[in-house]
Amino acid sequence: MTSSAAVSWNAVVVPSSPLMVGPLGFASVVWSAGSAAPRADADPLGNVRALALDAVRWLVSASPSRVVVLCAPADPSNVARGVTVPLGERVARSLLSAAGFTGEVVIGTSSEWSSRPSAGEAVPEGTGVLVVGDGSARRGEKAPGHLDERAFDFDASVEKALRDCDATALSALDPSLGADLLAAGVPAFRALGSLPGAAAHSAVVDYAGDPLGVQYWIVRWPCAS
Amino acid sequence: MTLRLGRQSFSDDASLMMAIVNRTPDSFYDKGATWAEDRAFDRVAQVVDQGAEIVDIGGIKAAPGVEIDAAEEISRVGSFVGRVRSSYPSLVISVDTWRAEVGRVVCSEGADLLNDAWGGADPELVDVAAEFDAAIICTHTGGVTPRTRPHRIEYADVVASAIADTTAYAERALAAGVARESIVIDPAHDFGKNTAHSLEVTRRLSEMVDTGWPVLVSLSNKDFVGESLDLPVGERLIGTLAATAFCAQAGARIYRVHEVVETRQVVDMVATIMGSRQPARVTRGLA
Repeated sequence: MTSSAAVSWNAVVVPSSPLMVGPLGFASVVWSAGSAAPRADADPLGNVRALALDAVRWLVSASPSRVVVLCAPADPSNVARGVTVPLGERVARSLLSAAGFTGEVVIGTSSEWSSRPSAGEAVPEGTGVLVVGDGSARRGEKAPGHLDERAFDFDASVEKALRDCDATALSALDPSLGADLLAAGVPAFRALGSLPGAAAHSAVVDYAGDPLGVQYWIVRWPCAS
Repeated sequence: MTLRLGRQSFSDDASLMMAIVNRTPDSFYDKGATWAEDRAFDRVAQVVDQGAEIVDIGGIKAAPGVEIDAAEEISRVGSFVGRVRSSYPSLVISVDTWRAEVGRVVCSEGADLLNDAWGGADPELVDVAAEFDAAIICTHTGGVTPRTRPHRIEYADVVASAIADTTAYAERALAAGVARESIVIDPAHDFGKNTAHSLEVTRRLSEMVDTGWPVLVSLSNKDFVGESLDLPVGERLIGTLAATAFCAQAGARIYRVHEVVETRQVVDMVATIMGSRQPARVTRGLA
């Protein structure tokens, strides 16, 4: 484990649902354009989005000069349909912009992340880490990926690792089981676990829930030092 | 272009009602109302009486659920197609299946049309259509696996994708030997699409019509209507009919529907407004 004295980065975990960028998840439609008032649950992730924005504001409040975004690469099927920017990147940029962050944004899925520290090397001073990812999308018969009973144990293990700042457990998450369970966050959680000093944090879980059949978390990792 | 669906041909200004007949215990709209074979047969009689030109018989609900293998699907729809054929020699019988193995059985039982709602997931389905001189519906799903829900699916341009995929599928059917006049394309609302995507393919349906291939639309009571109007299944008829009118103006040829009478009235009214259909009676102010 890296000594806590050398660790100076904070991290935040937020969901990667398209609904995180706006109430309808697509920008071309103007909200409240209709005559009728939207029903109370028309924006089912409104509270989640607000909590995520609070967490990102907290990350930004430490005045990092750069934010490293850890997210899954763009879905290959969506790339084939012409959408090449990873969903997680768009969610991150939207939240960072809403939080007023104007510094450098480095995307952890791309080769641009040349500043990625190797094992034993510290994350550079002035870095914030924004992890965009979810647990399984197979947590019920109405879930996007229908029901897979394995989802519950899997998500529980991810949540425990996030709560415990268990870098070993995060970096050992099974990517193939994660893919089977449509757990879009697994690559990002593995990357978080592999960051030098990951274990030298404490965790504050602001939200854990699966309102749409997908497991979401909002977690803050203040550095312990 | 004249449309030929198995034993029947239709002129290029004809709009056709394709009535949904589910041999399923769990489809989203009727929830098993015609699961029993006799109930399904009664449904056929009803929609024929209502003027449907086509019945679309399906043995597997579209949403995820209990896996139905080909043998079970055949047991649900195979002999039933034969029974309908015996009673209605001139009715166009469509079967909603993605499996070539099932397609072969139903065509031998007298089906005219294979409605491949999952966009060519089984590449041999076109060969079956060609072998039996059946027609085929080429749908767009964005490449998703059959019986999966769209999850964070994205398109740079959903209409361009729908046109590219359905016309490529149509060309593949043509190359396999399906008659040109027996190939139909369908943007497949809500299949591999979220509500924004389904609304966009509706808004821009004329671009699909402009390809020259006859266009089928399957709008009936779907979730994009439900999300647009905040209405549950069972209260989406009016929204469905509004979308139907829009597609009729854009030039759709076939309407896959739960409600035949209401859809027919809307499509006829639009055609009358557009001048491609004469009013049934014109005496008002003219006596």
